Amino acid sequence: MLENIFRHLPKVLKYVFLALTFSILVMFIQSAFAKKEYEIGAFLLLAVIAIAITYLTNLSIPLKFFLPGILFLSAFVIGPILYTVVMSTFQYQTGNYISKSQAIERVQMLGIAPDEANTTFDVVVGTYKNQFAILASDSLNKRYLISTTSERIDLASDLLTINENGVAIKSSDFSPATSDEIAGLDRQISTTRFKYDGDYFIMLEGSSVGAVARQVLNYKASEDKFINLVDGSQFVDNGRGNYANAGNPEDILQPGWRSPIWFSHYLDLVKDESVRSPLFTVFIWTVIFAFLTVLTQFALGLLVAIAMNKPIWGRRVYRSIFILPYAMPSIMSILIWGGMFNTEFGAINALLGTDIAWFQNATFARVAVIMVNLWLGFPYFYLITSGAMQAIPSELSEAAAIDGASPRQIFARITLPLLLKIVTPLLIASFAFNFNNFNLIYLLTGGGPRNELDGQIAGATDILISYTYKIAFGSNIQDLGLASAISVIIFIIIASISLYGVRKSKVLDSFS
Amino acid sequence: MQKKLIAKGLASTLVLALVAGLNIVPAQAADKELVVWADETRGPNLTKVFAAKGDWVSGYKITVKSFSSFDALKDAVDKATDLTGPDIIVGANDWVPTGAKNGKLAPITLPASVKARFTANNFFDLSYKGSLYGVPLDINNVAMVYNEELVKNAPKTLGEMVNYYKANKDKKKLAAGLCIAGGGTSWGAHSVLSALGGAAYRMKNGAVDSSKAPIDPADLAKNIKTYLLDANGKSNGFFPATDTGCKDNYLDGKVPFAIIGNWEWQDYMGRGFQMNLMPVPGVKAGSYGTMFGSVSGAMLTSYAAKRGVEAGAKDLLINFFASTAGATAYQSIELRPPAEKGAQSKVEFTAQQNFGKAASKAGIPQIGAILNGTTGSKSYWDLLPAFWTAVLVNGRDPLTEATKMNNYFVKNITAGVKDL
Repeated sequence: MLENIFRHLPKVLKYVFLALTFSILVMFIQSAFAKKEYEIGAFLLLAVIAIAITYLTNLSIPLKFFLPGILFLSAFVIGPILYTVVMSTFQYQTGNYISKSQAIERVQMLGIAPDEANTTFDVVVGTYKNQFAILASDSLNKRYLISTTSERIDLASDLLTINENGVAIKSSDFSPATSDEIAGLDRQISTTRFKYDGDYFIMLEGSSVGAVARQVLNYKASEDKFINLVDGSQFVDNGRGNYANAGNPEDILQPGWRSPIWFSHYLDLVKDESVRSPLFTVFIWTVIFAFLTVLTQFALGLLVAIAMNKPIWGRRVYRSIFILPYAMPSIMSILIWGGMFNTEFGAINALLGTDIAWFQNATFARVAVIMVNLWLGFPYFYLITSGAMQAIPSELSEAAAIDGASPRQIFARITLPLLLKIVTPLLIASFAFNFNNFNLIYLLTGGGPRNELDGQIAGATDILISYTYKIAFGSNIQDLGLASAISVIIFIIIASISLYGVRKSKVLDSFS
Repeated sequence: MQKKLIAKGLASTLVLALVAGLNIVPAQAADKELVVWADETRGPNLTKVFAAKGDWVSGYKITVKSFSSFDALKDAVDKATDLTGPDIIVGANDWVPTGAKNGKLAPITLPASVKARFTANNFFDLSYKGSLYGVPLDINNVAMVYNEELVKNAPKTLGEMVNYYKANKDKKKLAAGLCIAGGGTSWGAHSVLSALGGAAYRMKNGAVDSSKAPIDPADLAKNIKTYLLDANGKSNGFFPATDTGCKDNYLDGKVPFAIIGNWEWQDYMGRGFQMNLMPVPGVKAGSYGTMFGSVSGAMLTSYAAKRGVEAGAKDLLINFFASTAGATAYQSIELRPPAEKGAQSKVEFTAQQNFGKAASKAGIPQIGAILNGTTGSKSYWDLLPAFWTAVLVNGRDPLTEATKMNNYFVKNITAGVKDL
């Protein structure tokens, strides 16, 4: 009996685990479909099927090990990349967030204009001869009327019950709705247009206020255009997610919608001077920043490693101290450095006895960025080069020394070349990392300084990723489509560098 | 045996999955519920007010969702969809142009009787392209405070303030003469720009005066050279280009004049400072630098219509947020200066009243459609700090920089007035 239980226990546990996994996933699927997130729902559904087939059959044993990784890779790496690529082909910016059908609905809603006098009424909602109606009062001018969707009946005040504010609350043939009924009629109250005069109607603003208005913009579905009923102007789909005035393309209706514009953003990166010029400047600085960072971090790390390679007194203490910047959370270090570089109160100006505006001057800001990154990154290279130097056979140096080579020659001709051979893939990886070092730039300088008065769009220390962030989220006009296109370019650059690094390190060779 | 076991396992798995799935699906909101989103201070206070009296709109239950910070609220608003969005958002005025462009906000027409409860200027910020998107809630403005320990009498001109600073800079170890403690070097510093003769835009008879440029570059440059720069064209230290440390310096008695926000007066009074509030004096006696008066608003969303509660949401805006009773009940806890006139008259704090007096002397509406800039231009929010940096830090020629800034301002006014 006990033996049977133990024999089946792994299977029982497996099914319990699978059942729980399915329960959670089914919950997410239902939630996703309920929120109309069909892509997420469909992915989760496929994941459930894949999990069921993989773990409830013996179709493929290796897949049992790979499936979780494949699913997570798909959800958190491949999915976002594909989404970014797709979004880069859309006009997706402030004013163009919603779908076309939603935009049409909202333009219609906004295409209403009040009458010149901005006439409003106090209203009571109810029924008149079994029709949905309002009893409207203009208490100032002592005008009273009942209006349904099809007729308006002007009333004399002596036929009405009027409250202390001059608002009619009762009339014969008119039955006011109770407050509970009003709550139930909300949608009707918001959408019904009550007869007023000619094109004008009374629309309700809540349940007790009516405003006189008329429809100015009308959507003609058969021709997919809006027509201004007052001046006759026509607004047609401009192919970039807005209805634009046929006679004046600059005059667009808002809101617009997310519209496919295919490769327009990529073409803008090349053709549009206002996009290309700052992007090119930022790209050049990004390369310089990443290169200088790697160079200075490696140089200082190596220098310290060489120094610490000698048997000096207190070496262990020094080693611990040198690793401290690496051990500290970088966000904290960056913020502290930011304070130290403050012009008025910073420790650096106080120590130097200067009043350098570190973050207001482009050159100083760039120097500050490199310095802070040097502080943050040199311990890493210190650790790497220390380890790598241990791997270089000491016989080589000894043989060279016997042959009469000076320590400098030994370092330049033996140690450094061998060291570079070992650490080159890491230098490449570090370059790729710093190419995207968003935290440092965002927290230290915010990409600045940027002289708005000179028309600068990108800041002096902006790197591609911080510049992309600004385009996507950093201003009043958030251009997520353009930011996606730049992100795709960054991805291609980083992927290429990483691939080169992987090849250089011959990591893939071990799999072949 | 193996197949049976798998079949049983599958069956039990699916049953369990369905049962769990059905049970754990989040409950849908009640049909007639009005959902209000607010930040970490306004949210809990609104919850308290609605808990004390919840029948502002009969037949609807009012639910307030509080966010951990203003940024968290903004983030949630940005990500809101038809299915997840609220019916009313209590937020910043400058969300209106973006919210309207993105179709997240819905217009509301207020009757004249309700509009009369507010100053006409209050509606500028909550409007976009002729439509109003909410009701004003509380007023945000700045004013200049002076330290009575250092300066005995209220200054009459900017020159008087500069002279005091120059005479006492070393003797009293002053860190600056006038600095921005509240509102930043763009929003809070408009009164300084204006005291020196410039402006983001000028108002005439309650409307934006687009007939002439907001800045006379030669005049502004002359005043900057006279009051803010030394003989070598470098900053004389009277007005720093940054707001860093200003509040601490004022509280430490190292700055005689500071521009502070009406949301922070308790910090100053708590340290024993009097609220000697006034607008920044201009270069001529009797003239003052104009300062922005903006409002936070309760804004109607387009999601309310989607959820079938638009009428209820509009009723809540009119019956509660735009009413004397509602504004008084709310501001008695929130302690911000109410926008509603009836509630204003019930304000008891002298500091709030003094901010109001300063604003009535030299307040101008904050018009996001102009200040936020337009495609191909720059926003006022970026331009003015850049101007201070260029002139006071980098030593650039004030005339050249003022001319550049004026050109952008003119462009923004031309584009912005079309959106009003």
